[in-house]
Amino acid sequence: MSNTLRPYLNAVRSTLTAAMCLENFASQIVEKHNVPEVEAGNTKEVLLNPLIVSRNENEQVLIESSINSVRVSIRIKQADDIERILAHKFTRFLMMRAENFVILRRVPIKGYDISFLVTNFHTEQMFKHKLVDFIIEFMEEVDKEISEMKLSINARARIVAESYLSQFV
Amino acid sequence: MSRLPPVVIDNGTGYTKMGFAGNTDPQFVIPTAIGLPNQSRHGIASKRGIEDLDFYIGDEAISNAKTYGVKYPIRHGQIENWDHMERYWEQSIFKYMRCEPEDHYFLLTEPPLNAPENREQMAEIFFESFNVQGMYIAVQAVLALAASWTAKNSQQTLTGTVIDSGDGVTHVIPVAEGYVLGSSIKHIPIAGRDITAFVQQLLRDHGETSIPPEDSLEVARRIKEQYSYTCHDMAKEFAKFDADPVKYYKRFDTINSINQSTYSVDVGYERFLAPEVFFNPELVSSDFLTPLPDIVDTCIQVSPIDTRRGLYSNIVLSGGSTMFKDFGKRLQRDIKRIVDGRVKKSEELSGGRLQAKPIDVNVVAHKKQRHAVWFGGSIMACTDQFYQFSHTKAEYEEHGPSICRHNRVFESLA
Amino acid sequence: MILLEPNSYVLEETLLARFTSEKPEIVDITLVDFDNVVYHVQTSAEQRNLLNLSVEMKYFNEVVEYGAQDILKREYGDYLVPTANPQYQITLQFNLEQLPADKAALAKHVSMLKRNMLASSFIRAFEYWESQQEGAGPLMTTHYRDNEAIYVQAQQDRVTVIFSTLFKEEVDRVLGKVFLQEFVDARRQVSIQNAPQVLYSSREPPLEIRHLSNLRQDESVGYVSFVLFPRHFADMESREKTISQIQLFRDYLHYHIKCAKAYMHSRMRLRVQEFLKVINRAKPDRVTAASDKRTATGRYMRPHLRQPTSPQHVESDW
Repeated sequence: MSNTLRPYLNAVRSTLTAAMCLENFASQIVEKHNVPEVEAGNTKEVLLNPLIVSRNENEQVLIESSINSVRVSIRIKQADDIERILAHKFTRFLMMRAENFVILRRVPIKGYDISFLVTNFHTEQMFKHKLVDFIIEFMEEVDKEISEMKLSINARARIVAESYLSQFV
Repeated sequence: MSRLPPVVIDNGTGYTKMGFAGNTDPQFVIPTAIGLPNQSRHGIASKRGIEDLDFYIGDEAISNAKTYGVKYPIRHGQIENWDHMERYWEQSIFKYMRCEPEDHYFLLTEPPLNAPENREQMAEIFFESFNVQGMYIAVQAVLALAASWTAKNSQQTLTGTVIDSGDGVTHVIPVAEGYVLGSSIKHIPIAGRDITAFVQQLLRDHGETSIPPEDSLEVARRIKEQYSYTCHDMAKEFAKFDADPVKYYKRFDTINSINQSTYSVDVGYERFLAPEVFFNPELVSSDFLTPLPDIVDTCIQVSPIDTRRGLYSNIVLSGGSTMFKDFGKRLQRDIKRIVDGRVKKSEELSGGRLQAKPIDVNVVAHKKQRHAVWFGGSIMACTDQFYQFSHTKAEYEEHGPSICRHNRVFESLA
Repeated sequence: MILLEPNSYVLEETLLARFTSEKPEIVDITLVDFDNVVYHVQTSAEQRNLLNLSVEMKYFNEVVEYGAQDILKREYGDYLVPTANPQYQITLQFNLEQLPADKAALAKHVSMLKRNMLASSFIRAFEYWESQQEGAGPLMTTHYRDNEAIYVQAQQDRVTVIFSTLFKEEVDRVLGKVFLQEFVDARRQVSIQNAPQVLYSSREPPLEIRHLSNLRQDESVGYVSFVLFPRHFADMESREKTISQIQLFRDYLHYHIKCAKAYMHSRMRLRVQEFLKVINRAKPDRVTAASDKRTATGRYMRPHLRQPTSPQHVESDW
């Protein structure tokens, strides 16, 4: 693990923990509605300043918080074409199964690869620190998975090429 | 450019039927089984190779069972293991069907009441892994109805009751205008496998000691397929057999699979007792006692009232276990008897003031019964509408797998 | 299954079933092979013992120029019908009553038909090399698929085979590039140093075919050249093997791209399951004394905890 990853994840963890301070808040615009304010964006006074934690320009986390919801968007490292394809395929695969993940958004925020939306209902029903754990673990694992997949694709390709060409020998 | 014929794949619990549309029979009927190397060495851990290509499907999986663990990816009609299924399809397409999936449309089947998530997973595999041009997922029961259109007494509608009896389980599925009436579906835990076991038991009971134990099941299956027929009345049939055994008893000659010697088996009552299991389930089962005609009748009676006449008039058989001689006739007679009894009773109760229009009961048997679902698919995929109803690659790219939740056949109704 | 078979399994099986069936049934079967080849197996209308196999091959006119007709006569002369059925390019006829003893071998041989047709330009090139003429031989093109072609050219000391291959999708293009790069690099391995040299370029067509006018030049096209040396085709045995292998190159590549995607899917499924475990840790256990109450049939009292039961899972365990 490179030495910049740890501080990066730590920064994300503490920011997230602080941001998960959510309370129930009914919409001020529509009566009897309760919407995640960060998504609606209609009530400026309950939105907090969005915050970007950045490891480098390819790896960033955008945390937008509000009174009753927090939105976390992650930009995953993509060094080349194959990593870009893999990241795209993987996040798409996850978002297809968003309903199982409860806090996963079906569509990422523009400019990011994957987004989570945590509302006060989530934090009331689930452990906050475990939710943070999940997001951090996700960030760690995604990078690992993508580089492993890349390696295994390369290994596959090599075997495929060799077994084809060895037919001619 | 003329289009290449679509590929029709019907993955059943026991057997997979696949072939090109337009043909009357599937090109391959192979067990839905996949043989994987015994050691679980290709978990996620070993990622430095292509061990995941080391597997067999179908009959090859069964014959390699010593070195490969055989797995069945489909349980109760539904796909349980998507990893195995994806690889099963991979080999079906490239090795068995030998076609480039990018050039074809695909027609796949699903059991009634399949969860839309399963359909999405199918679409994900076929569009993303195989890049198919387009695909359509049809309900098996509806295809079985379409298959019956070739029968002489068919009405060419998509309303009817499908009796689908394969190897594992028998379903009775009412379909109205192409819609499966999910709440009325009935199941019978008796199917081909139970009948074979019953025949095996009968053979054992009347002392056919010449059958080697390892061949016993196979012999029972072949006797069931070759000699069975449905009788009118069990008691009379027994009397008939006892009066003139020479005429009715059959000899079945076969070869011992181990020492290659020939031996013969006398086939007696099992000839008519095998299909009788459907009409008198107490023969094989102690907890399930409702005969098939009663089940069909209840199934139709719990369906919406305006569909019932249609359901009675088009009862379609599908699957290998409905292939017994005169099975359809017997079923029709028994159902008719139940229905007429009820009509008569209600007329009596009304004191003769109400005259009911007689209900037409019609059981449709046809030549393609065994692979009816596949055959129906083959017909469907040949029509021009198939291409209109299919979901194309472009739509998938645009909207994602959720397109499969929507069936365009019912567009005008929605 | 790593390598693909050169013959068509489905055609072989279908023919064998017809050849060995005891009573001749009327059949009318359409089959497909890689690269848009359509087979039509049909019993003759008048005589039931005659079985026709018609083949539709888009590039048949091209391969005829390279001597496909001679191969056809040589390999299937006994069965060849002089004029093919309309819409089809080749028709073979089998008399089911006068088949040779080894029916399986015949079925297998016929199922190689597409391979033998596609082989014609290769054979022509190898013959040109044998004749030891000065300079390069003619460039032979076979448009085996829409927008994709095989180019074969003999030189004095080698034969060059160029595939143009098209990737319809971005993902395939990227994966294809990874695979093709490995084909190029594979020869560094000592064990396969004698394999043909592979060159790969996307967009830019290689030198040999650059003069052709109708080439596509964009991101989705790739050109793969194989340089075959005399040791790959000097003797008959290795020649046949080389032909069988090399013409399946495109299908082989695309097959493995698809397998790689299937493999990625299974990895991702596993990963999703692991992530689910992690997120489920965040959910507190809700099992309290109150929610444990069950009805006589074993169902939970609280509606949201009820196990789903659908009528089709009578005996299923979920």
